[in-house]
Amino acid sequence: MKKKLITTALSTLAIAVGGVTAAQASDWPERPVTMVIGFNPGGSTDIQGRVLANVMEDYLGQPVNVVNQPGAGSAVAFTRLANNTDEGYTFLFGGTTALTFTPIITDVDYEIDDFEYLAAVAIGQNAIVTSAEQPFETFDDIIEYGQDNPMTYAQQTALDQAIIENVAEEAGLDLSIVPTGGGGGMAPLVLGKEVDFAYSGGTHAQYTPSGEMVVAAFLSAERSPFYPDVPTLMELGYDYSIEDYRTIIVPAGIPDEAREALIAAAEYASESERFRETTEDNTFFPVVFIGQDEMEDNIRRIRAATEEVMGD
Amino acid sequence: MNMDFVAGAIGEALSISSLIGIGGGVLLGYIIGVIPGLNRSVAIAIAIPLTFYMSPFIAISFLIGLSKGTAAGSAVSAILLNAPGEASSAATCLDGYPLARQGRPRTALKVGLFASVLGDILATTILIFVAIPFARVALMFGPYEMAAILAFALVFIAGLSSGSLFKGLAAGGLGIFLGTIGLDAQTGLPRMTFGYTELMDGMPLIAVAIGTLALSEMFVQSERLRYERDSMSVKLDNSDKDKLGWKEFLTTVPSIFRGTAVGTVVGALPGLGPSVGSFMSYGMAKKASKTPERFGKGAPEGIAASESADNAVIPAALIPLFGLGIPGNVSAALLVGAFAIHGITVGPLLLRDEPELLYSIFAGMIVASLIMLVLGWFGLRIFAQITRVPPHIVIPIVIFFCLSGIMLQGYGPFGLIVLVAFALVGFVMKRYDYSFVTFLVAFIITPMLELNLRQSIILSRGDPMVLMNRPIAVFFIVCTIIALVMLAWRTMKKGKPVAGADPAA
Repeated sequence: MKKKLITTALSTLAIAVGGVTAAQASDWPERPVTMVIGFNPGGSTDIQGRVLANVMEDYLGQPVNVVNQPGAGSAVAFTRLANNTDEGYTFLFGGTTALTFTPIITDVDYEIDDFEYLAAVAIGQNAIVTSAEQPFETFDDIIEYGQDNPMTYAQQTALDQAIIENVAEEAGLDLSIVPTGGGGGMAPLVLGKEVDFAYSGGTHAQYTPSGEMVVAAFLSAERSPFYPDVPTLMELGYDYSIEDYRTIIVPAGIPDEAREALIAAAEYASESERFRETTEDNTFFPVVFIGQDEMEDNIRRIRAATEEVMGD
Repeated sequence: MNMDFVAGAIGEALSISSLIGIGGGVLLGYIIGVIPGLNRSVAIAIAIPLTFYMSPFIAISFLIGLSKGTAAGSAVSAILLNAPGEASSAATCLDGYPLARQGRPRTALKVGLFASVLGDILATTILIFVAIPFARVALMFGPYEMAAILAFALVFIAGLSSGSLFKGLAAGGLGIFLGTIGLDAQTGLPRMTFGYTELMDGMPLIAVAIGTLALSEMFVQSERLRYERDSMSVKLDNSDKDKLGWKEFLTTVPSIFRGTAVGTVVGALPGLGPSVGSFMSYGMAKKASKTPERFGKGAPEGIAASESADNAVIPAALIPLFGLGIPGNVSAALLVGAFAIHGITVGPLLLRDEPELLYSIFAGMIVASLIMLVLGWFGLRIFAQITRVPPHIVIPIVIFFCLSGIMLQGYGPFGLIVLVAFALVGFVMKRYDYSFVTFLVAFIITPMLELNLRQSIILSRGDPMVLMNRPIAVFFIVCTIIALVMLAWRTMKKGKPVAGADPAA
């Protein structure tokens, strides 16, 4: 019964995408492929990655096994990927801050040139959030309120802390900044009003639909289509942004046929209803398809911009 | 509670497809629980893709059944092999294994099973009736309260399980020291990583826990095997004295209720986890007992205390999850992901938007507890078969599972090195009577304690008067001080280490 369902689903998919499956030129892959995720199970990268693996599997015709290699915001997974000699059979799916930001503050054993950035399939979300029960709602409100009151902010990375410190200095806020254990640790602090505002790397998607949490501003370069009324920090006149793309990354110099097959599978996934539904409806990350050339430029541009912020 | 929903929910939970889904989850969980080294969060992570093709209700019930099964199954290996299937059943070893060695393995297993199932059903009932109104209370637990509770838990558990105050301090100190390794939570700068990327996230917890608990035990067993040649695992036969009488069962009931209460409170507080619950419950049972000296030598109450708390944590962790959308532990965090895949946002809105689903899940959880009882009862013999296998076969198999469990976690060769290193540490600690329990608890609690303490200090801007508005925090600070004073006083009075010490030391 279940098998039949899957078969039906697969054939429907095959019909839906027309000749794409048939048009696969090479024999790659000849054996199962491994997708590495540099975070623990359960987070937004993990959820998106598992669905992505599932859809890519349909396209590649071989199982795509998901392996979590958590640690240091993916730095552990990147270190291992840099030394990987699987010729494309192992690739990483995840954000790019471990390349554009982590190497600036920490010694890591990899560099941007160790990898190829095959395709981005979703745009990372970086937001400033606050509780709906606070006396302020927009980012301007926060700044205004902060003129007369000492404020508290919950950070998650040294990068968002550096940006907020700069903003606080420009705006004249008396700000204390506390660390959190990631998005899961941030939510209770904000909802319990222990802190006035906080950074969110995507966790807000779980709390804004109920109206408990409010997005005050985006740190991303562009507004989110899911919160069209929320401005970016840039629009508000602060010249800072955090750009991040959920990207398929492989060690540099993999065989051409592997590269082509993975890029094609990523494009196929970005057009798939299932991936779009999970990623957009459930985690509020816009699905895109950005090809290799553009991503290689993006990574290096973001890194240069981040170095400038952290250099202050 | 709307009666239509309740009736519909019970009907749905008893349909054939849900019984198969929930039963499959419990069975899979039970097997994973029995195997030391394969842990709950890995199991859930691996199982989530399996749920793509299930309805949201069956998918969630399957995963919750899986968690529950691991908590019950882990007692089997704790009792028969002295190697807990999950770290949270480590406290079960303390009395379960001695009781089994005394020729009463069946009694130990049954006490464990009943305590698991009862703790589970009671905590699930509490979840159902208090989740929605009560969850708001969890918001009162900010960093101040968490820091105070964690400090109390550390002192309490250390005081409990250390034979000697100074050996306890040494073991706890080592745990705290190792717990500070890794990237600083705020600046992101590495602390004591010596350039190893793998250490940036700290010592891998699973590798440290499995090494200190399970693999070191295999070393101890191998050593014993060399001299004793008797079976390290315990055989199940039909001897008359190995029967769990009604009277004996009744003696464990207070421990089960206490364990459920402890497990529920610990589970409902985000971040504490089942290991803290089971050890706390064990300690309280020992404290409350008229004959504490029996503990560690095969007291059924010890098994009951540990297992009921272990199982109670699982439904209790769903209280903040369903009430607020805040996961109480790793497994609950994974469930958030599973809900998201099925397009459901967990939190207060769940009750308003999808009451049928929520009540169906509650009904499914009760069904899972009952399936667990049936499976544990009739499967006792089958699951216990591992004990018939001679130790020279069991030891390498357990070692294999320890190693493969680490590989499954994705830590790679580095994880294996840590595993073996801590197996040696654990071996030395067991050999020279240092409490590895104190060591592990200190190691697990330190990062949480540090984070909450830092948050408290920064948020208060260094002003201790903030605590005047924080009665819960003050209460736990006072408890911590009392516990410390009592421990010191007891040590001084006897002029020697605390007597009646925990055998785990």
